[in-house]
Amino acid sequence: MTASEQELSEARTTVPGMMAIEAERLVKQYRGRTETIDAVRGVDLRVRAGEVFGFLGPNGAGKSTTVRMLTTLMSITSGAARVAGIDVMADPDAVRRRIGVALQEAGLDPRQTGRELLVLQAKLFGMSAAQAAGRAEELLDLVDLVESGDRRIKGYSGGMKRRLDLASALVHEPEVLFLDEPTTGLDPASRLTVWDELRRINARGTTIFLTTQYLEEADQLCDRLAIIDGGLIVREGTPELLKAELRQRRGLDADPTLDEVFLDATGRTRERVAGEVQEVLA
Amino acid sequence: MTGVEQANVLGGRALRETLRTPESLVPTLFIPMFFLVVNLGQAGKIFPSSSTSFLYGQSYAAFQLPSSLLLAASFGSAALFLVEDIEGGYFDKLRAAPVSRSALVIGRLLAEAAKSVAITAVLVVMALPFGVSIASGPIGLVLLLALTSLWAVVFSGFMQLIALKTRSAAATNSGGLVFFPLLFLTPNFVPRDLLTRPMEIAATFNPVTYVMEAMRSLILQDLAWATLARGFGVVAVLGVLMVTLNVRVIRDYD
Repeated sequence: MTASEQELSEARTTVPGMMAIEAERLVKQYRGRTETIDAVRGVDLRVRAGEVFGFLGPNGAGKSTTVRMLTTLMSITSGAARVAGIDVMADPDAVRRRIGVALQEAGLDPRQTGRELLVLQAKLFGMSAAQAAGRAEELLDLVDLVESGDRRIKGYSGGMKRRLDLASALVHEPEVLFLDEPTTGLDPASRLTVWDELRRINARGTTIFLTTQYLEEADQLCDRLAIIDGGLIVREGTPELLKAELRQRRGLDADPTLDEVFLDATGRTRERVAGEVQEVLA
Repeated sequence: MTGVEQANVLGGRALRETLRTPESLVPTLFIPMFFLVVNLGQAGKIFPSSSTSFLYGQSYAAFQLPSSLLLAASFGSAALFLVEDIEGGYFDKLRAAPVSRSALVIGRLLAEAAKSVAITAVLVVMALPFGVSIASGPIGLVLLLALTSLWAVVFSGFMQLIALKTRSAAATNSGGLVFFPLLFLTPNFVPRDLLTRPMEIAATFNPVTYVMEAMRSLILQDLAWATLARGFGVVAVLGVLMVTLNVRVIRDYD
């Protein structure tokens, strides 16, 4: 077994109870021309191995920035992060061997075929040409793209691109899968297909860290979730726990929806919106 | 997989990208040939081969060919493909893989070198009907291909720097225009000693001059080692500089 195969094999081993993701006081500042912008202002996260963890927040709350820091794509201003037990800043390459990443925009090369893209990705993770070809075939089958595998990606539908992006994040059987809004822009049928894929992937032991703007998606898929607003975590827990907490605090007769939990957590309550409208009208 | 192997894999992908975009190759061949034909038509009679010593018995097209080869090697389309990768998110996909940061930028430069060898060979063949021959023989032809492709690496490296810094196709395209003054501040139409004094000084400070003179020597003369050393020296220094800057920028890329 070569060194890279050994590392891949180790990467596939999920230790129950181990923390897949840990972040402590994670901060990201951007230096603008006139001011410093605090995109993330001290995020603490603990995601257990094997969980599906939802990361919710309004636009500009710091979701994608947090994901980019955890996936080594962006430098960390201060704080610490460990993914799959490895310090992100100290050994980013080792982290990259253990994670799969599918970002907001399906990051694909439109001039390659689906199969070529997966083979290339597999080779970059250290597989031989034969291993890469075999893995590409498996993944095309997994995401139901065998028939379109030799067509150029340029001609794929949005749903096909998302599924291929997901497949390319799985070539090395990652321990932790980061998905940044994986179903944005998809029709309901394609969204359900992606959900099924994610459940299947998680059932095989992969930890999933998922950002989404669709609260129903978080409710359906996530074991636990965190809500970020203004660069800070404002709620964290299981969907049931968060709903129960709001029900108790507000003295409601029935459990609120996750939408209501989200609105409450981010200060975007319907009452406040109504108030703002009245102010404008006055 | 070593960084070199990764660069080769990524270079192969970049070449495939070029082959699947033939429309990007058309201007790379057409515009340099257009300049060769137009310049020959405008100045060919002024410099007849029989009485112009700096032509060494060849047509004026042979004197002009290096300008066209340099122009073809300076389109920098690789950087525009890189901007597409950045804008489309594929570059982040590659960055999130355990790929050597250097391989991410060097892969494209290797592809650009290979592409430039092919384009230069095609342009030399296209120039043959205009009375051009490679006086330095097969070794000279190989050196001509090598020098032109190394220049392509230098220029693509420069364009990639702009692409990585600005992440904008418009800015990258504008950056490419910097080559035009450099191309014309050279002994483009006549040898350096026939230029006016201010122009001669400008050409002497312009590194492109030495690459052009080395290429020209390979086409018009036998192997002129001192001239070649200056030309290869310029591309070596600028090449190392561009690769170093590219690697530094990609390591700090956020």
